[in-house]
Amino acid sequence: MSVVESHDIEFAAPRISEASVADYIALLKPRVMSLVIFTALVGLLLAPGHFHPVLAFTSILCIAVGAGASGALNMWYEDDIDAKMTRTANRPIPRGRVTKPEALTFGLVLSFFSVVTLGILVNWFAAGLLAFTIFFYVVIYTIWLKRWTAQNIVIGGAAGALPPVVAWAAAAGSLSVEPMLLFAIIFFWTPPHFWALALFRAGDYANAGVPMLPVTAGPDATRLQILLYTIVLVAVAFAPWPLGYFDAIYGVTSLALGGWMLLLAVRVYRQRTGSAALRASRNLFKFSILYLFALFAVLLLEVIVRGVIGMPA
Amino acid sequence: MIDPQRANPPVIDGVVLTPAQKKSQRERSIAIALALGVLVILFFAVTMVKGAGVLVRPM
Repeated sequence: MSVVESHDIEFAAPRISEASVADYIALLKPRVMSLVIFTALVGLLLAPGHFHPVLAFTSILCIAVGAGASGALNMWYEDDIDAKMTRTANRPIPRGRVTKPEALTFGLVLSFFSVVTLGILVNWFAAGLLAFTIFFYVVIYTIWLKRWTAQNIVIGGAAGALPPVVAWAAAAGSLSVEPMLLFAIIFFWTPPHFWALALFRAGDYANAGVPMLPVTAGPDATRLQILLYTIVLVAVAFAPWPLGYFDAIYGVTSLALGGWMLLLAVRVYRQRTGSAALRASRNLFKFSILYLFALFAVLLLEVIVRGVIGMPA
Repeated sequence: MIDPQRANPPVIDGVVLTPAQKKSQRERSIAIALALGVLVILFFAVTMVKGAGVLVRPM
C-alpha cells in the first residue's frame, strides 16, 4: 500500500511561441518611432557645440529604442483596448502572436538597456530624461490617464514632446530655451492631432471604453478644443522666429503651414455633420503629421545650411 | 507487488517543436545575437572615440 495515492495528472502542453521578429518590431510602434527619431535628430543637431557622430548615433539609437520600449509596454497594458478597436486589433498581442508576459519582458529589457547605454556612453542627465520619458508614457499616460480622463492626450502629450529635449541634453549636457520651444511645439500639436483622429474614430474609442474627448464631451466640444489648441499651436510654433531663436526660413514656413493648419481646424469646427465633417477631421489629421514633419525638417535644413556656409548656431 | 507502470514509465518525448516554431525561434535568436553584436560594437566605438575620457561620467 502506498502512502501517496496515485492520481492521473494532466499536463497542459507548454505554449511555444511562434512570434516572428516582425511581431516584435511591431511592438516597437515603428511609425511612432520614426517621428521620434526625426524630432530627436533635430534637437540633437540644433544643440550647440561639436558632438561626435558616433555619440550622436548612439544617442539617437538609445532614444529610438527607449521609444520602442514604451510602445511595447503600452501594448502590454492596453491589449484589452487594442482588441476592441479596429485600428489596433491587428497588433501582435490581440492577434495572439505575442503573449503579454513576452511583451512586458521585451519592453522592460529594452527600457533598461536604452537608459543604461545612454547613461554610460553619453551622459546620465540625458539618460535620466529618457527614463522619465518612458515612465511618463507608460505609467502616467498609459496606466493612469488614458482610462481616467478626457485630458489624457493633453497631459500625456508631454511624453511625445520629450525626445528632442533628451537629444539636446545628450549633445549639450544641459538644457536651454530652444529644446523647450521644440517641446512646446509638439506638446500643443498633440491635442489637435489626436482629437482629429478621435473625431472619426469616436465609435471605436466609445466601444473600448476610452474616455476620449469626443466620447465624453461630444464632437462639438471637441471641435472647439481643436480650434483653440490649433490657435495656440500656431502662435507657439511661430514665436521662436520673432524671439530670435530660429531663422527667417523657419518663421515664414511656420506661418504658412500654421495658416493652413488653422484653416483646416476652422473647417473641422464649421463642418459638423455628414461626410463633410468626416472629411474635414481626416484632412486635419493627415495634415497635422505633415505640419510637424515639415516644421522640424525646416529646422534641420537651417542647421545644414548653417553648417555649409559656416555660420555660428 | 511492483506496479508495471512504475517499473517501466512511459517514455516522454519532451517538447517537439514544429517547423514553424523552429523557424521563428531561430529568427529570434539571430535577432538577439545581432542586437548584442551592435551593443558590443557601440561600446567599443564609443571607447575608441572617448579615449581616456571614457572614464569621465558627466551628469
